[in-house]
Amino acid sequence: MKNRVNVIGVGMTKFAKPGASAEYYEMAREAGQKALADAGIPYDQVEQAYVGYVYGDSTCGQRAVYELGLTGIPVVNVNNNCSTGSTALWLARQAVESGAAECVLALGFEKMEKGALGNKFNDREPPMGRHAQVMVDAQGISNAPPAAQMFGGAGREYRWQHGTKKETFGKISEKARDHASRNPYALFNQKLSLAEIMASEEVFDPLTRFQCCPPTCGAGAAIVCSDAFAKKHKIKNAVYIAAQAMTTDYASSFAPLSLIKMVGYDMTVQAAKQVYEKSGIGPEDIDVVELHDCFTANELLTYEGLGLCPEGGAEKFIWDGDNTYGGKFVTNPSGGLLSKGHPLGATGLAQCTELVWQLRGTADQRQVEGARIALQHNLGLGGACVVTMYRRD
Amino acid sequence: MSEQLRYEGKVVIVTGAGNGLGKQHALLFGARGAKVVVNDLGGSIHGGGKSSAAADAVVEEIKALGGEAVANYDSVEDGARIVQTALDSFGTIDIVVNNAGILRDSSFQKMTVEDWDLIQRVHLKGSFAVTHAAWPVMRDKGYGRIVMTTSAAGIYGNFGQANYSAAKLGILGLSNTLAIEGRSKNVHCNTIAPIAGSRLTETVLPPELIAALKPESVSPLVGWLCHEDCKETGGLFEVGAGYISKLRWERTRGHSFKLGRAFGPDEVAAQWGKITDFKEAEHPADINQSMAPVLANMNSKSLGGNQYIDLDLASKAETTVESSHSEHDVALYALGVGAAADPLDKKDLSLVYELSSDGFHVLPTYAVMPAMNAMLAMAKEGKSPVPGLNYGFDRVLHGEQYTEVKFPFPTKGKLRHTFRFKSAYDKAPHAVVALGVTTTDETGEEIAYNEITTFVRGAGGWGGERGPSGESNVPPAREPDAVIEEKTDLNQALLYRLSGDWNPLHADPAFAKAFGFDKPILHGLCTYGHVGRHVIKAFCGNDPRKFKSIKVRFAESVFPGETLVTRMWKESDNRIVFETRVKERDKVVIKNAAVELYEQIPQRKAKPKAQAVAAAVAAGPVSADVFAAIGKHLAASKGLGEQTRTVFQFNLKDPDSAWILDMKSGDGAVKQGTADKPDVTLELSDEDFVAMSTGKADPNKLYFGGKMKVTGNVMASQKLAFLQKMDPKLLQEAASAPAAAPAKAALASAAPKEAKSGAVFAALAERLRSDKKAVNGLAGQVVAFKVSGPEASWVLDLSGKSPRVEQGQSDQATTVFGIADEDLAALASGAADARDLYQRGKLRVDGDVRLAHGLSVFSKLI
Repeated sequence: MKNRVNVIGVGMTKFAKPGASAEYYEMAREAGQKALADAGIPYDQVEQAYVGYVYGDSTCGQRAVYELGLTGIPVVNVNNNCSTGSTALWLARQAVESGAAECVLALGFEKMEKGALGNKFNDREPPMGRHAQVMVDAQGISNAPPAAQMFGGAGREYRWQHGTKKETFGKISEKARDHASRNPYALFNQKLSLAEIMASEEVFDPLTRFQCCPPTCGAGAAIVCSDAFAKKHKIKNAVYIAAQAMTTDYASSFAPLSLIKMVGYDMTVQAAKQVYEKSGIGPEDIDVVELHDCFTANELLTYEGLGLCPEGGAEKFIWDGDNTYGGKFVTNPSGGLLSKGHPLGATGLAQCTELVWQLRGTADQRQVEGARIALQHNLGLGGACVVTMYRRD
Repeated sequence: MSEQLRYEGKVVIVTGAGNGLGKQHALLFGARGAKVVVNDLGGSIHGGGKSSAAADAVVEEIKALGGEAVANYDSVEDGARIVQTALDSFGTIDIVVNNAGILRDSSFQKMTVEDWDLIQRVHLKGSFAVTHAAWPVMRDKGYGRIVMTTSAAGIYGNFGQANYSAAKLGILGLSNTLAIEGRSKNVHCNTIAPIAGSRLTETVLPPELIAALKPESVSPLVGWLCHEDCKETGGLFEVGAGYISKLRWERTRGHSFKLGRAFGPDEVAAQWGKITDFKEAEHPADINQSMAPVLANMNSKSLGGNQYIDLDLASKAETTVESSHSEHDVALYALGVGAAADPLDKKDLSLVYELSSDGFHVLPTYAVMPAMNAMLAMAKEGKSPVPGLNYGFDRVLHGEQYTEVKFPFPTKGKLRHTFRFKSAYDKAPHAVVALGVTTTDETGEEIAYNEITTFVRGAGGWGGERGPSGESNVPPAREPDAVIEEKTDLNQALLYRLSGDWNPLHADPAFAKAFGFDKPILHGLCTYGHVGRHVIKAFCGNDPRKFKSIKVRFAESVFPGETLVTRMWKESDNRIVFETRVKERDKVVIKNAAVELYEQIPQRKAKPKAQAVAAAVAAGPVSADVFAAIGKHLAASKGLGEQTRTVFQFNLKDPDSAWILDMKSGDGAVKQGTADKPDVTLELSDEDFVAMSTGKADPNKLYFGGKMKVTGNVMASQKLAFLQKMDPKLLQEAASAPAAAPAKAALASAAPKEAKSGAVFAALAERLRSDKKAVNGLAGQVVAFKVSGPEASWVLDLSGKSPRVEQGQSDQATTVFGIADEDLAALASGAADARDLYQRGKLRVDGDVRLAHGLSVFSKLI
C-alpha cells in the first residue's frame, strides 16, 4: 500500500536577473526557511533532502541545506537540466510514498550567468550531441542560442504542418507578461503588448526576444510528508500529489527530421498519459496548469502534449483565450518561465509553489477561482519530463 | 447562426423518405422552405411489399410544419417516374438525395444470384436511374445538388454484406465521376456514409447503440451539402451521432522500378517495405495526380541491369579509398614477382634494396597493388568497390588488366584511389565488367591509372550489349625479337600472397582441389609482374622507369614451379607486343598483351608542397593570410578568448596545414600546429577555408556538402561567428603583405551575381498558362515574393480567372515569401524543396505557412 504524499510547505525567493542575486546558499536558505515556516515544522523533523541545481560543483546541495541545520540527514544532489527541480520533488515524493521516510525536503536553486545556455565541459561528448545531430540534419546550425534553434525549429515544423500565425506564438508571451504583472515573485512585472513582443529582435524565426525565457537566479522549496506525519503535526486538508510521472527520451526523439519530437513532445505526452491514468483525472477536470514555457513554441506544443487542446488546435485555443482567466484553463498564472524567469534548478519547485498556493486559495490577485485540481509540467532537454497532478479536497 | 440556411423554392427529391434517414432529410428540407418529393415504395427492408402509407405520413408531417410536399410511390429503379413527379408538381428539380435502400444480408457462401441482383438494382441502378433522369434538367439550368448514400460496409467491407458492399462502393464511383462531369455546370455530387439507427441497421447493431445513433444527426450534413452556398463536390463523408468527417485516399510513396529493366515477384518482395510504407504518404485527389508517379517513371529509362549489376547505380557511382605503402611493400612485391633472382645483379638489386647504388625503383606493375589491395579489403567486408555491382568475389575471374604509370611510381607514400565503373558487357549468361581506378598522390596529381576487367560468372542476361569481340595486340607472324624464359619457384605463390592477396586458392591445397585445381595456383597478377619484368629486361635495360603501360589478357592459370616463356615483338620504339606460355604444358597463359614505353623517363608535373603554397599566394589569399588576419583581429578586439572559451583545431588540405585557434582564455591566440584537446576539429581544403573566411562560402553548405568535416562538439563550431565581425581590411593587408599583390584586394568585392528569379517567374507564368491545375495549393490566393541577392519583388495572383505573374508588389497579397535568388533557383530546379528551405530558415513566410506547401508549383520549372 502506497502512502499518500502531501505537500505541506512551499516557499520561493523573488527571481532575479544574473548578477543581481544573493549567493546560492543564501537563496536556498530563504526558500527552505519559508517552506519550513509554511509547514509549521522545525528543520529537525526533515529526514531527507533532495537538492537540485545544474550549474555548480559537486555537493552544493549540502552547502545549501547546511544553512537550515546540521542534522546529518541524507542529502542527495540532483541534476537533470531544466527539469532538475521537479526531479528533486519526484525523488522526495518517491521516498515518502514508498514509506522510506515520513517527511522530506525538495529544494532547488540556480545561480545563472548572462546569455544563452551552453556546455561547461567541452573536452567530452556533449550530452545533447544526439539531439543536436537531429537538429543539424533538419536545419543546419546558425548563430542563435542552441536552445532557441531547437525549440524554434520545432515551432517552424509546427507552423509548416498547421499554418500557425507568428502572432500566435507572440500571444503566449503577451499572456505570460499579463499573468506575471500580478506576481511579486516574477522577474518581469511589466506587461507587454503583442506589438511590442512581435517587434522585439528576432532570435530564431518564429521566436522573438520576448518569446524566450531569460537566464534567472532564484530558489524554491517544498516539504512533502505522509498522512501520519501530517496528522501528528495537526496539518489538515493539505494539498496532495494525486499522481506524478517522469519520462526520458523515447526512440522518437531521434527520429530523422522531427524537431517537435526531438524537443521531447513524446516525453510530455507519455508522462501526462501516465499521470491521467494513475490519478483517474483527465485534462478536462484540471483548473490550473504550470507548464514548461521556456519558449513560446514549447508552451504551444505542450498544450497539445498535455491534451489541453486537440492536436492542431493550439492556435484556436490561444486566440479563444482558453489559456487564461475566463477560459478553459489558466496556464502559467505565475507568468511562467517566460516572465517569472527560469533558474533551472528552482523552476520545478517554483511551479509547485505556485500551484500549492492556487489550490489553497492564497494566490491573491492571481487566484484561479475555486481551483481544486492543478497540473505541473517541467521539461528538460537531454532529456527528462516530470508531470505532477496536485489535488486538494 | 443568425441566418438559417434555407432552400426557398428549391425542389428536392428524397428517395426512401418514408422512414429513418430519408424521412429526416425530407423533414429538414420541408421545414426550411423546399418543395419536397417524398419517395417511398412502402416496402419492407428486404425489398418485399408495397404501400403508400409511409410516404403519405411524411408528406402530411411536412405540410403540418407549413411546408410543401408530394408523395411518390415508385421504385427507384423507375427513377424517371420519380423525377416526373417533381416536374409535374413543381416544374423543376434542384436537389436529389439518393437514400433508398434495402438489405439482403447473407454470407457470401450462401448468397443467391437473386440476393445479389436485387441489391445491385435497388442501390446502384436506383441511384443511377433517379440521378440520370434529373441530370439533363440540372445541367440545362446550371444548378444541381446530388447526395449519394454509401456505407462503411462498402468502404471497409462487412461480414455478410458482399452484395451490399459492392453496390455501395459502386455508388461512390458513380459519384466521383458525376462530380467531375457536373463541375462546370454547377452540378455538385457528394457521398455520405451514414451510421444511424434505421430499419437497415436494426439488423446489425444492438438496440442501445441504435437509440444513440439518431437519423437526425445525419441530415444536417446532407442539408449543407445540398445548399447553394456549399462548394464541395466529389467528397466522401462519414457521419453519425454528431460526428462528421471527410475521407480521402492515401497512397504510399511507393517504389518505381526503372523502365527497361526486367523485374519479377522477387524484386517486388524486396521492395515490399517501401511499397507499403505510409510514412511519407501523399493524397492523390484526381486521375492526374494518380498518374503522376507513373508518368514520372516513364521518363526515367533504365540503363539496364539485373540483381548483380545495376547499371543505373554503377554508372554514377564513384568510390575513393586511401592507401599507404612503404619501401618494405615495394621490395616484398618485387621478390614476389621473381625479381633479384641474382642478388649480385645491380639492376635487379635496385628493385628490392632501398639503399641500392643504382637507386631504388618500383616495378611499374606494382601500381595496381595498392588499388587492388584496397578493393580486396572492401570485398572482405562484403562491400563492393562500386555501388551497383552486387556480386561476390566467388563469381569473379580476373580477365584483363591494364596498368599505366604517369611517371615512376613512388617508393612510399599515401595514395588515393578512385574507382569508377567503366563498362559492363552482357555475355549472357555471364558478364564482363571493367572498372577504372585513378590513383592520385597527396598533391592530388594523377600518378597511375588501372583498368580491371573481370569475368563475372552468371551475372549476364539483362539484354545489354555484348561488347566488342575480336583480338587485339596479336603477335606478328615473324619470329619474336626477344624471348625470356624464367622458371618460377615452387613457393612463389606463398611469397607473392604476402603482398596482399590472401585468397586460400593460392596456398591451401584442399581449397584449390575444391575449385578443381590439382594444387594451389599462382596469382594472375603474380604472372603479370613476371611478364612486365621480362619486357623491362629485354627492352628497357632493366630500368623500369621508362615503362608507361601494360595490357594483358589472362588466358590460363599458372602453377608455381612452372616455366614462363615470354616471346616479345618490338612493333615500334615504344610499343612491344608479347605473349607468354607455360613451357611444361605449352599453353598460352598471357595473350593479347602489349607494353608501351616512354621515350624519356617522365618527370612529375606537381610541385612539392612549399611551391604549391607559393603558387596559391600568387593567386589570392591563403589560409596563412587568414590566420594572420585573425591574429590581428584577436589582438585588436581584446577578451574574445574569455568570451568564446573554445579551442578550435583546423586541419587544412591542399596544401596541408594545421592551425590552432586557442580561444580558451584571455584575448585568444592563433598558432600553427595540432592541439592536444581541441573542443572541435574542422577539416577542409585550404581553398574552402579561405572562401568560408571571406564570406564566399557558406559554412553550412560546406558541412552538408561533405566538404567540411566537423568532429568533437559540433555545436561549438557556431562560436566561430566572432570571425564575422572581423574587419575585411585586416585580411587584405595580410594577403598583400608577403607578395605585395594589389590585385588580391579585389577579393573583398565579389562580382555582382546575376538574378535568376526573372527566369524562374517567366517559366512559372508559362507553366500556369499551359497547366491550369498546376496552381494546386495556391488556388485563389494572392501571394508575394521578396527575393534577395539580387533583390526582386514578384506577385503571383491566382484570385482571378487567369493566373497572373507580375513583377512588383501587391496590397492584396495575404502571404509574403522571402527567399534568396539562388534558393529560388534551387527550388525551381528541384534541387531544394520548400519544406526544407523553410525549416532551415531560408524560406521566410509572413502569413499562412501552409500556402508554402503550394510552392511545389515551382518544382522542376527550370
